[in-house]
Amino acid sequence: MRLSVLTHFVSFSRCRDLRWLALLLAPLASGAEMTWIENGRAGFVVADIKYVLAGDAEKTGACQQGMTRNVEEIFTSTPQGKRRTGETDDAYAKRLQQAGTQLSTAPNGQNLCMNPEAGAPDLNFRTARFTNTAIDGIDIDGVESRVDAPTPRGCPHRDSIGKHGERGIDNQYSRVVGCMRAYQPTGQANGFAVEMLTGSWGILLSLEGVDDIRNDDSIEVGIFANADPIQLSPSRSPLAYATYAIDQDIRFRAKTKGRIKDGVLTTEPVNMLFHSVTNGLRFERPLQHARVQATISKDGSLSGYLAGYTPVEAMYDYQFGYRSGKNAKGELGPLGLRLGTGNGAARVLGYTCPGVYFALYEHADGDPDQNGRCTSISTQYSFSAIPAFVVDAETKSVNDKLEGKGDRREK
Amino acid sequence: MRNETVLRMRCVAAMSVLIVLSGCGDSIREPEAVGGPAVMRRLTESQYRDTIASIFGADVAIPARFERGLRAEGLIAVGTSEAGMSPFSIEQYDAAALGVAAAIVSEKGRDKFVPCKPHTDMAFDAACAKRFVEVYGLRLFRRPLTSEESQRFVSMAQAGQQRLGDFYAGLEVTLAGMMVSAEFLLRIERTKPETDPSELRELDAWSKATRLSFFLTNAAPDAELLRAAGAGELDSKKGLRRHVDRLIGSPLFKPAVRAFFADMLQFDKFGDLAKDSVVYPAFSSTVAADAQEQTLRTITDLLIEQQGDYRDLFTTRQANLTRALGIVYRVPVPTRNGWEKSEFSVNRHRVGIQAHVAFLSLYSHPGRSSATLRGKAIREVFLCQEVPDPPPNVDFSAVQETANSKMPTARDRLEVHRTQPACAGCHKIMDPLGLTLENYDGLGTYRTVENETVIDASGSLDGIDFKTPEGLGQALHDHPETPRCLVERMYRYAVGRDTEMEERSYMDYLTHSFATHGFRVPELMRTIALSENFFAISAQGEKSEHEQVALRTGEGL
Amino acid sequence: MSKITRRTVLRGIIRGVAVGVALPYLDCFLNTNGQALAATGQRIPTRFGTWIWGCGFIPEKWIPAATGSNYSLPDDLKLLEPYRSKLAILSGFDVKLDGVPNKPHITGCLGLRTGIPVPNEVVKAPTLDVLIGDVVGKGTRFQSIEVSTAGIDRSYSYRAAGSPNPSEVSPQALYRRIFVDGFQDPNATEFKPDTRTMARKSVLSAVQEDRKRLMRDVGAEDRHRLDEYFSSLRQLERQLALQLEPPAPVENFTMPKAPGDRALDSEIDHVMVTHRLMAGLLAKALQCNQTRIFNVLFSDTASNLRRAGTTTTHHTLTHEEPVDPKLGYQKEHAWFATRSMVAWREFLDEIASIKEGDATLLDHSLILAHSDCSIAKAHAVEGIPIMLAGNANGRIRTGFHLDGKADPITRVGLTVQQAMGLQTDRWGALSMDTNRTITELLV
Repeated sequence: MRLSVLTHFVSFSRCRDLRWLALLLAPLASGAEMTWIENGRAGFVVADIKYVLAGDAEKTGACQQGMTRNVEEIFTSTPQGKRRTGETDDAYAKRLQQAGTQLSTAPNGQNLCMNPEAGAPDLNFRTARFTNTAIDGIDIDGVESRVDAPTPRGCPHRDSIGKHGERGIDNQYSRVVGCMRAYQPTGQANGFAVEMLTGSWGILLSLEGVDDIRNDDSIEVGIFANADPIQLSPSRSPLAYATYAIDQDIRFRAKTKGRIKDGVLTTEPVNMLFHSVTNGLRFERPLQHARVQATISKDGSLSGYLAGYTPVEAMYDYQFGYRSGKNAKGELGPLGLRLGTGNGAARVLGYTCPGVYFALYEHADGDPDQNGRCTSISTQYSFSAIPAFVVDAETKSVNDKLEGKGDRREK
Repeated sequence: MRNETVLRMRCVAAMSVLIVLSGCGDSIREPEAVGGPAVMRRLTESQYRDTIASIFGADVAIPARFERGLRAEGLIAVGTSEAGMSPFSIEQYDAAALGVAAAIVSEKGRDKFVPCKPHTDMAFDAACAKRFVEVYGLRLFRRPLTSEESQRFVSMAQAGQQRLGDFYAGLEVTLAGMMVSAEFLLRIERTKPETDPSELRELDAWSKATRLSFFLTNAAPDAELLRAAGAGELDSKKGLRRHVDRLIGSPLFKPAVRAFFADMLQFDKFGDLAKDSVVYPAFSSTVAADAQEQTLRTITDLLIEQQGDYRDLFTTRQANLTRALGIVYRVPVPTRNGWEKSEFSVNRHRVGIQAHVAFLSLYSHPGRSSATLRGKAIREVFLCQEVPDPPPNVDFSAVQETANSKMPTARDRLEVHRTQPACAGCHKIMDPLGLTLENYDGLGTYRTVENETVIDASGSLDGIDFKTPEGLGQALHDHPETPRCLVERMYRYAVGRDTEMEERSYMDYLTHSFATHGFRVPELMRTIALSENFFAISAQGEKSEHEQVALRTGEGL
Repeated sequence: MSKITRRTVLRGIIRGVAVGVALPYLDCFLNTNGQALAATGQRIPTRFGTWIWGCGFIPEKWIPAATGSNYSLPDDLKLLEPYRSKLAILSGFDVKLDGVPNKPHITGCLGLRTGIPVPNEVVKAPTLDVLIGDVVGKGTRFQSIEVSTAGIDRSYSYRAAGSPNPSEVSPQALYRRIFVDGFQDPNATEFKPDTRTMARKSVLSAVQEDRKRLMRDVGAEDRHRLDEYFSSLRQLERQLALQLEPPAPVENFTMPKAPGDRALDSEIDHVMVTHRLMAGLLAKALQCNQTRIFNVLFSDTASNLRRAGTTTTHHTLTHEEPVDPKLGYQKEHAWFATRSMVAWREFLDEIASIKEGDATLLDHSLILAHSDCSIAKAHAVEGIPIMLAGNANGRIRTGFHLDGKADPITRVGLTVQQAMGLQTDRWGALSMDTNRTITELLV
């Protein structure tokens, strides 16, 4: 077993810079035990993560044209979609079902969730228009963008303004989903951390070369997919100081430089890749040119933002259409499962697949292709993390054989 | 004159022979054997399981549940000679017996386990039945069957065959019957028949084999030891030595040492342990199980593999860890499922098994640590010093208020223990030990502050002062009672009873021998097994019958 | 009839013999094997069943705040007050995934019932009702009976992957199958004592012949302990003797009425009626020993129940319905969760209405009610709600709420099997392997 422990026990003979030693021996201000940072190294596991969204559309007034609709709602808004007199529940339900299926099928016969490009932009799809609503986050591209002018590496779009007046925050994704019922604060679409808490995927962070945890101009930051399930207490809260192994596939390991100023960590852009699991199907969640901005507290918890550009095709896949979901062995999941998950999610969460697909492209603001069409969309996550030991070792579940798993890392 | 010289020379010669024989510096000789009463001991769960595994192999399942053992004189091993046999336990033993017997006579099992083939599968074959009964009777009863017993079991097999129409079914019910017999479930000790009960006696060869085997392998005598008993080899010093060394060198020695320490450290109390999940969210039944395993592994690593000094158990930084434990100790554990061997670095302030999660969490309350429980446990478990119970009208409210800003640390809250004369008498022997361990919270995680106040970890043990838990470890290491306590406890464990008054000089001898052999535990066990006192049964007089009450585990403070 | 009284057991302590462990709970009218004895002194068999409702619960309306026996029933359980002493509420027991993907509505349910957290319907072990049926269900006409009340032929009783025991969805068909075609009059069947039991009994008798010699071989202090050993052995012998007696005759049995035609759909009011009818038929089937094992699917794990006039199912609501800001949970989903408990109460009413001997069918049964998940919108398999009803002829203690503190849910399955007389000391596999009986439950 290849083993190199990134965060290991202190060995006094090895330290060269004594400043951190002074830090460790200094009297602690509020008596907190700073056992989470040692030898200039600290590790973290993300305990909670969700998209940064604008808030209840009813309050912000961002959806003056109404909320987005799914295929059944589209049908019931037409005259044929009303219940006929004397029609039984079962019969009506069946009719709605059939109509929905029809609306989910492209002219060429393909299912629109599996092949949204075979459809057309959905006029029933609503996106959020908010101008005065404050949304926190990171200025990813470092530019204050306007709708009328292109950005150096992207496409015209309107930036958001943060709660404390920060300018230039890029969050086009929040506009795409802002009028979906399921993305309102009481809805469920922002609950993808559930699978993280059941251990299907996770995110780890590591800091190295930290001389001063409050202010340091140059540190090494690692952001990795977690290969192990998160450890929870009996009341289902993540436990600090657990040990996790980083994913053995290097595509899921990102390393970049960072700095800490007055206790706030920021990082240089780097491409990140995480896992995402829905309904037993595995996807990849990429985040390009991504940055972190998070406050480090005295007890070693992180709280802040992770933001970057998500390639639209990938975003559509792992969040809406579930086209390319794989099983544990890396094979494409059963077609029925992928079809059911994509179409089912659209119905339950209240949108149409082509609707969201084209809306994503319409709002894309990063990575233009050779024709100038942007292929990725700015996405902001807010997250919190707690201290963890991050190691580089091969690990596997005792339940591996239940999935018929061979070596996941054979890629 | 010449006689004197001869005598002196003989003495010198005898002494030098003795010195050569003992191998080390100044050994003393074993005092005259005094022995104690014969005891009838019930098998513990691990002994039952290891015995079945040793007779039938580890693959045979035992589908039964076992009761908690009874603890007496601080050991379940001593409780075995007082415990009764409830209807529930007979039911479970019966279930286990049926399960084992079914596996033995099954299609696959019979080729492996039945030592002969009957003429047909259906009809009764007396010779084969007799062979079966006697082969397993010897192993199960730990002695050869008498001819009356053999006949009785053969008739059982025949009756079974007649009723069920199958020879192997007859063997099956008979084997199950043997496995619920008193001779199997209870260790009935018998002395050599020729001796007079009013004088000091010796156990017969079979009882010797049984005592030896359960002591050194935690299981019934194997075939080889039974053969040796029958051949009289255990009655000669040379033969006994050979078999003791064989048992100590066998793979079953390690489980036997584990069983002893699990008993001594009172790990069965983990069954009752509950922690407040708000205060200690990291606690789970996995942590509880891993904590015990960690301590037992450290013990066997040090004492057996490394042939180490027993006292080093209180200063060792060796660690066996799982991820669940890693969360509590706040150290990384790369191995995801399973055990990892490493060492706590100096700055972790983790020395000795008294600083392991097992000891620290067991002797704490559900929502807070307990300097008194830990101090008491150190006295009772490691130093064999009994602490009296508290008076009935004690008010615990002050110590339970963990968020009191006027008394932020436990030391402050236990102030009254030291200032009240009625309390100080006992508490001064417990608190100074436990207060040093306040650097570990009620689960065992290291801390330097409590309620934002730096913890004062100074304490003392019988005249030795220290400022840190490491100091406590060293003090325990150096304390003269530490090795003596282990010796007494090990002996009581081996014989299943309290030591007799007359055995005091024997205890001195064992303690001295323990020291001269570098405090090595395998060596101590060897010394006990080879001593004459180990097989001695005292003269039958009327010792006062003391009330034996059903004991439950002790109350917390 | 066994002569076990409190005094017999306590005698051991008074004479100075240490018994070593808490005395088993003994009711004067039971022998230690927990076999209920009818007024005639004959055995009444123990029945086992499962009852599944889909889509979990609302935690704040279901989990009692206190543990132990002095807990107050939360909102959704208030209607179970009459059965408080016969119910054990179990919360906080988890299906342990260790990274295995959770197949919604499958992994939790099958993990609980097979002991293995399978990522799909391919079960890797029989469900526990099948394991129990293989031991106690062989002597009856049906080894088990499965019913589903929401019109879906689905069951979570598996012998092996691909072979679930199919459910009866129509009350009429159920009635015909049990009470018309091939109905067996329970009092007319001939009882054949088991030869193996007879053989075991005579062995135990022979083992006791050694008593005199042994008493001579041990010291005075130990004779009391040997005495206790021999009494225990005698008790075991008496238990076997009891098994050789014919079972109690079924008294007061009247044939149920044939149910009329019904719509078999997922509309909840219809389902409640269907469920009540099937429960009644099942109770009678158990009373007259047509079977001892049953499995009821009140609503499927992805519950298809719906209100009259709507097409949205309970399951869809769990994913679609926003959280009510004032209540803090999904209102419509909660309504279905509450109705599920009403159905459970009605099921208990049917079972408890059958008198047997001095008690009821419920006292002689062990019913495991559970859902497939705790929080439906997350398909959470931690803390899946469980209720045990009935005392299994005195083998199970009830009347309390126990918090599993994130222990594996296989502890429940293991304990239930042990209570039904299976000699097993461990159950479950991989991340859910356990050998820890829930001693609060098992007498």
